[in-house]
Amino acid sequence: MPSSTEPTGPGKSPNVPRFQARFERWNRKLHFYVGLFLLFFIWLFAFSGLLLNHPTWTFAEFWTHREETNYERDITVPSADVTGDLAQAHDILKQLKIEGEIMWTTTRTDPNQFDFQVRRPGHFFFIKADLAQKRVTVRRAEVNPWGVIKALHSFTGVQMDDPRNSRDWALTSLWAFSMDAVAAGLIFMVLSSLYMWFELPQKRLPGAIVLGLGSLICGLFCVGLRWLF
Amino acid sequence: MRGRFYRIIRDLHLYFGLFISPFVLVFAISVFFLVHSWLPRIASETSTTRVVSALPLPQDLTTRSGRPLINGLRPALEKADVPGEVGFVRHLIKEQKLIIPVTIPGRETTVTINIPTREATIVTRETGLADALVTLHKSPGQHGANIRMNWFYMRAWRWMADATVYLILFISVSGIYLWYVLRAERSLGFILLFAGALSFFGMAYALVH
Repeated sequence: MPSSTEPTGPGKSPNVPRFQARFERWNRKLHFYVGLFLLFFIWLFAFSGLLLNHPTWTFAEFWTHREETNYERDITVPSADVTGDLAQAHDILKQLKIEGEIMWTTTRTDPNQFDFQVRRPGHFFFIKADLAQKRVTVRRAEVNPWGVIKALHSFTGVQMDDPRNSRDWALTSLWAFSMDAVAAGLIFMVLSSLYMWFELPQKRLPGAIVLGLGSLICGLFCVGLRWLF
Repeated sequence: MRGRFYRIIRDLHLYFGLFISPFVLVFAISVFFLVHSWLPRIASETSTTRVVSALPLPQDLTTRSGRPLINGLRPALEKADVPGEVGFVRHLIKEQKLIIPVTIPGRETTVTINIPTREATIVTRETGLADALVTLHKSPGQHGANIRMNWFYMRAWRWMADATVYLILFISVSGIYLWYVLRAERSLGFILLFAGALSFFGMAYALVH
């Protein structure tokens, strides 16, 4: 059984085993360095995923326990050079001192009536602006930490089936980037673990059985169901 | 004793990790599609339409809603050979029609039943692997708890998704133990753990407050 430090044959470069040994060492180091750095992110997404999969768990209910406040404010109507719904919404939010991700949930039919939502984890703002009256009605809903945890799981600022909504808050972009980073980190950890396992000859067979079983079950859901039905 | 405990934890970390690695890949890859609201079209979507008649519909169909409605529609869907997870059923009262979305990961079927004639128009769209991953990532999801998971295979997926979470939690805790045992790596590990915690709590604080 060749070990990682044995020469691989006369035809191959003598640097290969050294390179391989270094690669193995760094692969192992990076596996737990990445894991340690992403630990809290992984715990958040794993735990919140569990909560989202069980909406009937009453202890994690948040919307029925929300606290709402309503208020009205006078505003200055956005000037003529502020064009487009997004720019106008930003102008109004600046006056109201509200920050967050803008959500378009209604279609604007009356140019004087401007309704939209602003969200950030734990906070919902339902804004109805009457531009003719220069007045804004704000309904603000605050939710408990369970609501925050669930919101963080899916706070991307975009929706697959709604091209109208796009990221418009810098912190949403930052959070979305961190989601990408966690996903990339997890993929790296999976690949690095496969390499580490394969370098353990005595664990190859039982590992292959377990990996094969996992792949078979997962493959059933990803592609198999379409073949079967 | 301590060495035996270490070996057991190390083996469990390895084997549980290998078992859930395909599931972790499904969740991780689909994150990119969900975060960027984008689906790669590896193969072109295909769509087929067919008509099925003489469907067995329950007498009290129009008075049912939620799970009883889905249960009542199952024989009709079986006759029409449309297996899968039934979504929110829309009842168009004026047109006397039911619009039933049925999903299998990677396939979306829309069954439109004309109630008086008991005839259904079935449109099937093959949406591909990327869409299948997104569907699985979002299943069962937080909405429609009273109707979701009405197909055995999606219930089984929920068990697997839950198992993935529990095993990730075990693997992360056992991973901390396996790292902590390596004395030479402790200081850099603590720095990375602290940097990760700072990034996470800093970002969460900025988002919430």
